[in-house]
Amino acid sequence: MTTAAARPWAAVRRTAAYKETVKALWRANPISKQILGICSALAVTVQLETALVMSLALTGVTAGSSLAVSLLRKAIPRNIRIIVQVAVIATLVILADELLKAFLFDVSKQLSVFVGLIITNCIVLGRSEAYALNHPPGQAFLDGLANGVGYSSVLLGVAFFRELLGSGKLFGATVIPEAFYRAGYVNNGLLVLAPGAFIMIGLFVWLEHTLLERK
Amino acid sequence: MSGSAKSLLFTAVLCVVCSLLLTAASSGLRPYQERNILIDRHRNVLLAAGLIEPGRKLGEAEVEALYAGRIRELRVDPAGRILEGAERARPEGLPLYLIQEEGEVRGYIVPIDSRGLWGPIQAYLAIDRDGQTVKGFAVTRHAETPGLGGEIEKEWFRRNWVGKKIATREGTFVSVAIAKGKVEEEVPEPKRPHYVDGISGATMTGRFLTAGIRDSLSRYEPVSIRFRRNQIAEWEKTLPPARP
Repeated sequence: MTTAAARPWAAVRRTAAYKETVKALWRANPISKQILGICSALAVTVQLETALVMSLALTGVTAGSSLAVSLLRKAIPRNIRIIVQVAVIATLVILADELLKAFLFDVSKQLSVFVGLIITNCIVLGRSEAYALNHPPGQAFLDGLANGVGYSSVLLGVAFFRELLGSGKLFGATVIPEAFYRAGYVNNGLLVLAPGAFIMIGLFVWLEHTLLERK
Repeated sequence: MSGSAKSLLFTAVLCVVCSLLLTAASSGLRPYQERNILIDRHRNVLLAAGLIEPGRKLGEAEVEALYAGRIRELRVDPAGRILEGAERARPEGLPLYLIQEEGEVRGYIVPIDSRGLWGPIQAYLAIDRDGQTVKGFAVTRHAETPGLGGEIEKEWFRRNWVGKKIATREGTFVSVAIAKGKVEEEVPEPKRPHYVDGISGATMTGRFLTAGIRDSLSRYEPVSIRFRRNQIAEWEKTLPPARP
Protein backbone atom coordinates (compact mmCIF):
# COMPACT_ATOMS: atom_id res chain seq x y z
CA MET A 1 0.00 0.00 0.00
CA THR A 2 1.32 3.49 -0.81
CA THR A 3 1.91 5.91 2.02
CA ALA A 4 -0.59 8.41 0.56
CA ALA A 5 -3.32 5.84 0.79
CA ALA A 6 -2.20 4.62 4.17
CA ARG A 7 -2.18 7.99 5.90
CA PRO A 8 -5.91 8.81 5.91
CA TRP A 9 -6.44 5.27 7.13
CA ALA A 10 -4.08 5.91 10.03
CA ALA A 11 -6.05 9.04 10.90
CA VAL A 12 -9.27 7.06 10.85
CA ARG A 13 -7.73 4.46 13.13
CA ARG A 14 -7.16 7.04 15.82
CA THR A 15 -10.80 8.15 16.01
CA ALA A 16 -13.06 6.98 18.83
CA ALA A 17 -15.65 5.76 16.34
CA TYR A 18 -13.14 3.42 14.70
CA LYS A 19 -12.04 2.01 18.05
CA GLU A 20 -15.62 1.39 19.15
CA THR A 21 -16.45 -0.29 15.84
CA VAL A 22 -13.48 -2.64 15.98
CA LYS A 23 -14.35 -3.45 19.55
CA ALA A 24 -17.92 -4.38 18.61
CA LEU A 25 -16.88 -6.39 15.57
CA TRP A 26 -13.96 -8.24 17.04
CA ARG A 27 -12.50 -7.65 20.51
CA ALA A 28 -15.89 -7.56 22.25
CA ASN A 29 -18.05 -9.30 19.66
CA PRO A 30 -21.53 -9.72 21.18
CA ILE A 31 -21.75 -13.45 20.41
CA SER A 32 -18.25 -14.85 20.50
CA LYS A 33 -16.87 -12.65 23.32
CA GLN A 34 -19.85 -11.58 25.39
CA ILE A 35 -21.85 -14.78 24.68
CA LEU A 36 -25.04 -12.76 24.15
CA GLY A 37 -27.85 -13.48 21.69
CA ILE A 38 -27.04 -17.20 21.68
CA CYS A 39 -30.70 -18.26 21.59
CA SER A 40 -31.43 -16.71 18.20
CA ALA A 41 -27.99 -17.70 16.93
CA LEU A 42 -28.97 -21.32 17.56
CA ALA A 43 -32.45 -20.99 16.10
CA VAL A 44 -32.10 -19.16 12.78
CA THR A 45 -28.75 -20.47 11.55
CA VAL A 46 -29.99 -23.64 9.83
CA GLN A 47 -30.12 -21.70 6.58
CA LEU A 48 -28.15 -18.68 5.34
CA GLU A 49 -31.19 -16.82 4.02
CA THR A 50 -33.01 -16.72 7.35
CA ALA A 51 -29.75 -15.86 9.14
CA LEU A 52 -29.19 -12.93 6.77
CA VAL A 53 -32.67 -11.44 7.18
CA MET A 54 -32.49 -11.96 10.94
CA SER A 55 -29.10 -10.19 10.97
CA LEU A 56 -30.53 -7.24 9.04
CA ALA A 57 -33.56 -7.01 11.33
CA LEU A 58 -31.44 -7.14 14.48
CA THR A 59 -28.92 -4.63 13.15
CA GLY A 60 -31.74 -2.26 12.22
CA VAL A 61 -33.39 -2.59 15.61
CA THR A 62 -30.13 -2.17 17.56
CA ALA A 63 -29.06 0.89 15.57
CA GLY A 64 -32.54 2.41 15.72
CA SER A 65 -33.07 1.84 19.43
CA SER A 66 -29.59 3.13 20.30
CA LEU A 67 -30.30 6.27 18.27
CA ALA A 68 -33.73 6.81 19.83
CA VAL A 69 -32.53 6.18 23.40
CA SER A 70 -29.53 8.47 22.86
CA LEU A 71 -31.79 11.26 21.56
CA LEU A 72 -34.01 10.89 24.64
CA ARG A 73 -31.13 10.32 27.09
CA LYS A 74 -31.42 13.70 28.82
CA ALA A 75 -35.21 13.44 29.21
CA ILE A 76 -35.46 9.84 30.42
CA PRO A 77 -36.02 9.73 34.21
CA ARG A 78 -33.32 7.45 35.69
CA ASN A 79 -35.70 5.38 37.81
CA ILE A 80 -37.76 4.11 34.86
CA ARG A 81 -35.02 4.00 32.23
CA ILE A 82 -35.15 0.21 31.64
CA ILE A 83 -38.91 0.29 31.05
CA VAL A 84 -38.50 3.18 28.63
CA GLN A 85 -35.75 1.37 26.71
CA VAL A 86 -37.76 -1.83 26.48
CA ALA A 87 -40.78 0.12 25.20
CA VAL A 88 -38.63 1.75 22.49
CA ILE A 89 -37.08 -1.61 21.50
CA ALA A 90 -40.44 -3.40 21.46
CA THR A 91 -41.92 -0.73 19.22
CA LEU A 92 -39.04 -1.05 16.75
CA VAL A 93 -39.22 -4.86 16.75
CA ILE A 94 -42.95 -4.85 15.99
CA LEU A 95 -42.30 -2.32 13.22
CA ALA A 96 -39.59 -4.58 11.74
CA ASP A 97 -41.92 -7.59 11.91
CA GLU A 98 -44.77 -5.70 10.21
CA LEU A 99 -42.42 -4.44 7.48
CA LEU A 100 -41.14 -7.96 6.80
CA LYS A 101 -44.70 -9.26 6.58
CA ALA A 102 -45.58 -6.52 4.12
CA PHE A 103 -42.52 -6.60 1.85
CA LEU A 104 -40.55 -9.84 2.46
CA PHE A 105 -43.43 -12.18 3.11
CA ASP A 106 -41.70 -15.46 2.21
CA VAL A 107 -38.73 -14.93 4.53
CA SER A 108 -40.96 -13.59 7.29
CA LYS A 109 -42.91 -16.86 7.11
CA GLN A 110 -39.69 -18.80 7.63
CA LEU A 111 -38.44 -16.66 10.51
CA SER A 112 -41.83 -16.97 12.22
CA VAL A 113 -41.46 -16.13 15.92
CA PHE A 114 -37.77 -15.25 15.90
CA VAL A 115 -38.24 -11.68 14.68
CA GLY A 116 -40.55 -10.98 17.61
CA LEU A 117 -37.98 -12.52 19.93
CA ILE A 118 -35.43 -9.80 19.04
CA ILE A 119 -37.08 -7.91 21.94
CA THR A 120 -35.53 -10.40 24.37
CA ASN A 121 -32.10 -10.28 22.72
CA CYS A 122 -29.64 -9.03 25.33
CA ILE A 123 -27.51 -7.26 22.72
CA VAL A 124 -30.18 -4.66 22.00
CA LEU A 125 -30.95 -3.69 25.59
CA GLY A 126 -27.27 -4.10 26.50
CA ARG A 127 -26.04 -1.52 23.96
CA SER A 128 -28.83 0.87 24.77
CA GLU A 129 -28.23 0.68 28.54
CA ALA A 130 -24.42 0.53 28.50
CA TYR A 131 -23.67 2.92 25.65
CA ALA A 132 -26.56 4.91 24.16
CA LEU A 133 -27.70 6.33 27.52
CA ASN A 134 -24.49 8.30 27.92
CA HIS A 135 -23.26 9.00 24.40
CA PRO A 136 -24.43 11.46 21.69
CA PRO A 137 -26.80 10.16 18.97
CA GLY A 138 -24.24 9.82 16.15
CA GLN A 139 -21.88 7.66 18.19
CA ALA A 140 -24.75 5.64 19.68
CA PHE A 141 -26.15 4.90 16.22
CA LEU A 142 -22.73 3.78 14.98
CA ASP A 143 -22.25 1.63 18.07
CA GLY A 144 -25.63 -0.05 17.53
CA LEU A 145 -24.82 -0.62 13.88
CA ALA A 146 -21.37 -2.07 14.66
CA ASN A 147 -22.75 -4.43 17.29
CA GLY A 148 -25.45 -5.54 14.88
CA VAL A 149 -22.82 -6.28 12.26
CA GLY A 150 -20.68 -8.06 14.86
CA TYR A 151 -23.65 -10.29 15.70
CA SER A 152 -24.36 -10.80 11.99
CA SER A 153 -20.78 -11.85 11.24
CA VAL A 154 -20.95 -14.79 13.66
CA LEU A 155 -24.54 -15.63 12.66
CA LEU A 156 -23.66 -15.80 8.98
CA GLY A 157 -20.48 -17.76 9.71
CA VAL A 158 -22.37 -20.35 11.73
CA ALA A 159 -25.19 -20.51 9.16
CA PHE A 160 -22.65 -20.96 6.34
CA PHE A 161 -21.16 -24.09 7.92
CA ARG A 162 -24.48 -25.45 9.16
CA GLU A 163 -26.19 -25.14 5.77
CA LEU A 164 -23.13 -26.39 3.86
CA LEU A 165 -22.36 -29.40 6.04
CA GLY A 166 -25.90 -30.06 7.28
CA SER A 167 -27.84 -29.82 4.02
CA GLY A 168 -25.14 -29.51 1.33
CA LYS A 169 -26.56 -26.16 0.26
CA LEU A 170 -25.80 -22.43 0.32
CA PHE A 171 -28.69 -19.94 0.17
CA GLY A 172 -30.93 -22.89 -0.72
CA ALA A 173 -28.91 -23.91 -3.81
CA THR A 174 -27.22 -27.31 -3.74
CA VAL A 175 -23.43 -26.91 -3.85
CA ILE A 176 -22.15 -30.39 -2.96
CA PRO A 177 -21.89 -32.23 -6.28
CA GLU A 178 -24.11 -35.27 -6.85
CA ALA A 179 -20.96 -37.35 -7.41
CA PHE A 180 -19.95 -36.87 -3.75
CA TYR A 181 -23.23 -38.38 -2.57
CA ARG A 182 -22.84 -41.29 -5.00
CA ALA A 183 -19.35 -41.86 -3.61
CA GLY A 184 -20.82 -42.25 -0.13
CA TYR A 185 -20.77 -38.69 1.25
CA VAL A 186 -23.61 -38.06 3.71
CA ASN A 187 -24.90 -34.72 5.03
CA ASN A 188 -24.23 -34.28 8.73
CA GLY A 189 -27.70 -34.39 10.29
CA LEU A 190 -26.36 -33.22 13.67
CA LEU A 191 -25.62 -29.76 12.28
CA VAL A 192 -29.28 -29.23 11.38
CA LEU A 193 -30.25 -29.80 15.00
CA ALA A 194 -29.71 -27.37 17.89
CA PRO A 195 -26.77 -29.33 19.43
CA GLY A 196 -24.91 -28.89 16.12
CA ALA A 197 -25.38 -25.13 16.44
CA PHE A 198 -23.97 -25.22 19.99
CA ILE A 199 -20.88 -27.05 18.79
CA MET A 200 -20.45 -24.68 15.84
CA ILE A 201 -20.77 -21.56 18.00
CA GLY A 202 -18.37 -23.11 20.51
CA LEU A 203 -15.82 -23.59 17.73
CA PHE A 204 -16.25 -19.95 16.67
CA VAL A 205 -15.71 -18.73 20.24
CA TRP A 206 -12.60 -20.91 20.54
CA LEU A 207 -11.23 -19.72 17.20
CA GLU A 208 -11.66 -16.04 17.99
CA HIS A 209 -10.13 -16.35 21.45
CA THR A 210 -7.12 -18.25 20.08
CA LEU A 211 -6.60 -15.70 17.29
CA LEU A 212 -6.77 -12.82 19.78
CA GLU A 213 -4.28 -14.41 22.15
CA ARG A 214 -1.72 -14.76 19.37
CA LYS A 215 -1.80 -10.99 18.86
CA MET B 1 -42.30 18.99 39.14
CA SER B 2 -41.52 16.12 41.50
CA GLY B 3 -39.53 13.10 40.30
CA SER B 4 -42.38 10.63 40.23
CA ALA B 5 -44.75 13.06 38.48
CA LYS B 6 -42.11 13.57 35.80
CA SER B 7 -41.70 9.80 35.45
CA LEU B 8 -45.43 9.32 35.06
CA LEU B 9 -45.71 12.10 32.52
CA PHE B 10 -42.76 10.76 30.53
CA THR B 11 -44.24 7.23 30.52
CA ALA B 12 -47.62 8.52 29.38
CA VAL B 13 -46.13 10.51 26.51
CA LEU B 14 -43.89 7.61 25.47
CA CYS B 15 -46.83 5.20 25.47
CA VAL B 16 -48.93 7.50 23.32
CA VAL B 17 -46.09 8.06 20.84
CA CYS B 18 -45.32 4.31 20.59
CA SER B 19 -48.98 3.36 20.16
CA LEU B 20 -49.48 5.98 17.48
CA LEU B 21 -46.42 4.73 15.60
CA LEU B 22 -47.56 1.10 15.77
CA THR B 23 -51.15 1.90 14.84
CA ALA B 24 -49.96 3.89 11.84
CA ALA B 25 -47.62 1.10 10.73
CA SER B 26 -50.19 -1.61 11.28
CA SER B 27 -53.02 0.10 9.41
CA GLY B 28 -50.72 1.50 6.73
CA LEU B 29 -49.15 -1.88 5.98
CA ARG B 30 -52.29 -4.01 6.37
CA PRO B 31 -53.37 -3.84 2.69
CA TYR B 32 -49.89 -5.08 1.62
CA GLN B 33 -49.88 -7.85 4.22
CA GLU B 34 -53.38 -9.04 3.41
CA ARG B 35 -52.57 -9.08 -0.27
CA ASN B 36 -49.42 -11.12 0.47
CA ILE B 37 -51.41 -13.62 2.51
CA LEU B 38 -54.08 -13.95 -0.19
CA ILE B 39 -51.52 -14.42 -2.98
CA ASP B 40 -49.66 -16.92 -0.83
CA ARG B 41 -52.87 -18.89 -0.27
CA HIS B 42 -53.68 -18.87 -3.97
CA ARG B 43 -50.11 -19.90 -4.79
CA ASN B 44 -50.37 -22.86 -2.43
CA VAL B 45 -53.76 -23.93 -3.82
CA LEU B 46 -52.17 -23.94 -7.29
CA LEU B 47 -49.09 -25.75 -5.97
CA ALA B 48 -51.29 -28.46 -4.42
CA ALA B 49 -53.25 -28.75 -7.66
CA GLY B 50 -49.97 -29.36 -9.50
CA LEU B 51 -50.53 -26.30 -11.69
CA ILE B 52 -47.23 -24.63 -10.77
CA GLU B 53 -44.03 -26.42 -11.72
CA PRO B 54 -41.91 -26.89 -8.61
CA GLY B 55 -39.00 -24.50 -8.34
CA ARG B 56 -40.60 -21.92 -10.64
CA LYS B 57 -41.33 -18.63 -8.98
CA LEU B 58 -44.46 -17.01 -10.37
CA GLY B 59 -45.15 -13.31 -10.02
CA GLU B 60 -48.32 -11.98 -8.42
CA ALA B 61 -50.09 -11.32 -11.70
CA GLU B 62 -49.31 -14.80 -13.04
CA VAL B 63 -50.59 -16.45 -9.86
CA GLU B 64 -53.82 -14.46 -9.98
CA ALA B 65 -54.41 -15.16 -13.68
CA LEU B 66 -53.80 -18.88 -13.25
CA TYR B 67 -55.97 -19.01 -10.15
CA ALA B 68 -58.85 -17.17 -11.81
CA GLY B 69 -58.67 -19.44 -14.85
CA ARG B 70 -58.25 -22.86 -13.23
CA ILE B 71 -59.62 -22.78 -9.69
CA ARG B 72 -63.25 -22.48 -8.70
CA GLU B 73 -64.12 -21.63 -5.08
CA LEU B 74 -67.24 -23.33 -3.72
CA ARG B 75 -68.96 -23.89 -0.41
CA VAL B 76 -70.56 -27.24 0.34
CA ASP B 77 -72.67 -28.41 3.28
CA PRO B 78 -71.56 -31.43 5.37
CA ALA B 79 -73.57 -33.73 3.09
CA GLY B 80 -71.59 -32.56 0.07
CA ARG B 81 -74.38 -30.43 -1.41
CA ILE B 82 -73.25 -27.23 -3.12
CA LEU B 83 -74.39 -24.07 -1.34
CA GLU B 84 -75.53 -21.16 -3.45
CA GLY B 85 -76.40 -17.50 -3.00
CA ALA B 86 -77.52 -16.67 0.53
CA GLU B 87 -76.84 -20.26 1.66
CA ARG B 88 -73.11 -19.68 1.17
CA ALA B 89 -73.03 -17.69 4.40
CA ARG B 90 -74.28 -20.65 6.47
CA PRO B 91 -71.91 -21.47 9.32
CA GLU B 92 -71.74 -25.23 8.63
CA GLY B 93 -70.63 -24.57 5.04
CA LEU B 94 -67.16 -25.91 4.12
CA PRO B 95 -64.87 -24.27 1.58
CA LEU B 96 -63.97 -26.48 -1.40
CA TYR B 97 -61.87 -25.72 -4.47
CA LEU B 98 -62.41 -27.33 -7.85
CA ILE B 99 -59.61 -27.73 -10.39
CA GLN B 100 -61.01 -27.00 -13.83
CA GLU B 101 -59.73 -27.34 -17.32
CA GLU B 102 -61.80 -26.26 -20.28
CA GLY B 103 -64.94 -26.27 -18.17
CA GLU B 104 -64.37 -29.81 -16.91
CA VAL B 105 -63.70 -30.70 -13.29
CA ARG B 106 -60.27 -32.39 -13.03
CA GLY B 107 -60.18 -32.77 -9.27
CA TYR B 108 -60.84 -31.00 -6.00
CA ILE B 109 -58.84 -29.43 -3.21
CA VAL B 110 -59.59 -29.89 0.48
CA PRO B 111 -58.29 -27.29 2.93
CA ILE B 112 -56.51 -28.98 5.84
CA ASP B 113 -56.73 -27.40 9.30
CA SER B 114 -54.44 -29.18 11.71
CA ARG B 115 -52.72 -28.77 15.01
CA GLY B 116 -48.95 -28.56 14.86
CA LEU B 117 -46.27 -28.81 17.51
CA TRP B 118 -45.99 -25.02 17.94
CA GLY B 119 -49.18 -23.71 16.38
CA PRO B 120 -51.88 -24.39 13.79
CA ILE B 121 -50.96 -25.80 10.38
CA GLN B 122 -52.97 -24.83 7.32
CA ALA B 123 -52.50 -26.79 4.12
CA TYR B 124 -54.21 -27.89 0.92
CA LEU B 125 -54.59 -31.45 -0.32
CA ALA B 126 -55.61 -31.87 -3.96
CA ILE B 127 -57.40 -35.06 -4.97
CA ASP B 128 -57.95 -36.39 -8.44
CA ARG B 129 -61.30 -36.80 -10.19
CA ASP B 130 -61.37 -40.46 -9.04
CA GLY B 131 -61.94 -39.30 -5.44
CA GLN B 132 -58.99 -41.20 -4.00
CA THR B 133 -55.65 -40.39 -5.66
CA VAL B 134 -53.73 -37.46 -4.19
CA LYS B 135 -52.66 -34.92 -6.82
CA GLY B 136 -50.58 -32.78 -4.50
CA PHE B 137 -50.06 -31.19 -1.11
CA ALA B 138 -48.97 -27.71 -0.04
CA VAL B 139 -48.64 -26.00 3.34
CA THR B 140 -49.65 -22.37 3.49
CA ARG B 141 -49.22 -21.56 7.19
CA HIS B 142 -47.31 -23.20 10.02
CA ALA B 143 -45.13 -22.39 13.02
CA GLU B 144 -42.99 -25.56 13.09
CA THR B 145 -39.25 -25.52 13.78
CA PRO B 146 -37.30 -24.45 10.69
CA GLY B 147 -35.22 -27.37 9.39
CA LEU B 148 -37.24 -29.97 11.34
CA GLY B 149 -41.05 -29.78 11.34
CA GLY B 150 -40.70 -26.79 9.02
CA GLU B 151 -39.68 -29.23 6.28
CA ILE B 152 -43.40 -29.96 5.69
CA GLU B 153 -43.47 -27.00 3.31
CA LYS B 154 -40.43 -28.17 1.34
CA GLU B 155 -40.48 -29.59 -2.16
CA TRP B 156 -39.09 -33.04 -1.24
CA PHE B 157 -41.84 -33.55 1.33
CA ARG B 158 -44.59 -32.27 -0.97
CA ARG B 159 -43.44 -34.64 -3.74
CA ASN B 160 -44.05 -37.57 -1.37
CA TRP B 161 -47.80 -37.10 -1.56
CA VAL B 162 -48.40 -37.35 -5.29
CA GLY B 163 -50.14 -40.62 -6.23
CA LYS B 164 -50.99 -41.71 -2.66
CA LYS B 165 -54.53 -43.01 -2.04
CA ILE B 166 -56.96 -41.68 0.57
CA ALA B 167 -59.17 -44.77 0.20
CA THR B 168 -58.73 -48.50 -0.43
CA ARG B 169 -59.47 -50.02 -3.83
CA GLU B 170 -62.91 -50.98 -2.49
CA GLY B 171 -63.58 -47.33 -1.67
CA THR B 172 -63.23 -47.40 2.13
CA PHE B 173 -61.77 -44.17 3.55
CA VAL B 174 -58.35 -44.59 5.25
CA SER B 175 -56.70 -41.18 4.80
CA VAL B 176 -52.93 -40.77 4.21
CA ALA B 177 -50.58 -40.89 7.19
CA ILE B 178 -47.02 -39.69 7.71
CA ALA B 179 -44.76 -42.64 8.51
CA LYS B 180 -42.04 -42.55 11.14
CA GLY B 181 -39.06 -42.86 8.80
CA LYS B 182 -38.99 -44.09 5.21
CA VAL B 183 -42.15 -45.80 3.92
CA GLU B 184 -40.14 -48.49 2.14
CA GLU B 185 -38.44 -49.53 5.37
CA GLU B 186 -41.22 -49.06 7.90
CA VAL B 187 -44.54 -49.89 6.23
CA PRO B 188 -45.63 -53.32 4.91
CA GLU B 189 -46.19 -53.49 1.17
CA PRO B 190 -50.04 -53.45 0.99
CA LYS B 191 -50.31 -50.32 3.17
CA ARG B 192 -47.70 -48.26 1.33
CA PRO B 193 -50.18 -46.27 -0.83
CA HIS B 194 -51.58 -44.74 2.37
CA TYR B 195 -48.25 -43.56 3.85
CA VAL B 196 -45.72 -40.84 3.01
CA ASP B 197 -42.08 -40.61 4.18
CA GLY B 198 -41.70 -38.94 7.56
CA ILE B 199 -39.28 -36.18 8.59
CA SER B 200 -36.52 -37.21 10.97
CA GLY B 201 -36.53 -35.01 14.06
CA ALA B 202 -40.18 -34.06 13.51
CA THR B 203 -42.12 -37.03 14.84
CA MET B 204 -44.63 -34.87 16.71
CA THR B 205 -45.32 -32.61 13.73
CA GLY B 206 -45.97 -35.73 11.64
CA ARG B 207 -48.30 -37.16 14.26
CA PHE B 208 -50.35 -33.95 14.55
CA LEU B 209 -50.52 -33.43 10.80
CA THR B 210 -51.58 -37.05 10.22
CA ALA B 211 -54.49 -36.57 12.65
CA GLY B 212 -55.39 -33.18 11.15
CA ILE B 213 -55.47 -34.57 7.62
CA ARG B 214 -57.63 -37.51 8.70
CA ASP B 215 -60.11 -35.15 10.42
CA SER B 216 -60.28 -32.71 7.53
CA LEU B 217 -60.63 -35.42 4.88
CA SER B 218 -63.34 -37.23 6.83
CA ARG B 219 -65.39 -34.01 6.90
CA TYR B 220 -65.17 -33.92 3.11
CA GLU B 221 -65.85 -37.63 2.71
CA PRO B 222 -69.39 -37.05 1.27
CA VAL B 223 -67.77 -35.03 -1.54
CA SER B 224 -65.07 -37.67 -2.05
CA ILE B 225 -67.71 -40.42 -2.23
CA ARG B 226 -69.49 -38.58 -5.04
CA PHE B 227 -66.23 -38.36 -6.93
CA ARG B 228 -65.40 -42.02 -6.20
CA ARG B 229 -68.79 -43.28 -7.40
CA ASN B 230 -68.38 -41.19 -10.48
CA GLN B 231 -71.49 -39.18 -9.82
CA ILE B 232 -69.65 -36.08 -10.86
CA ALA B 233 -71.48 -35.53 -14.10
CA GLU B 234 -74.74 -35.09 -12.17
CA TRP B 235 -73.09 -33.09 -9.40
CA GLU B 236 -71.54 -30.77 -11.96
CA LYS B 237 -75.02 -29.91 -13.23
CA THR B 238 -75.83 -28.46 -9.81
CA LEU B 239 -72.83 -26.12 -10.05
CA PRO B 240 -73.88 -22.50 -10.15
CA PRO B 241 -72.91 -20.77 -13.39
CA ALA B 242 -69.35 -19.45 -13.32
CA ARG B 243 -69.01 -15.79 -12.64
CA PRO B 244 -67.67 -13.96 -15.68
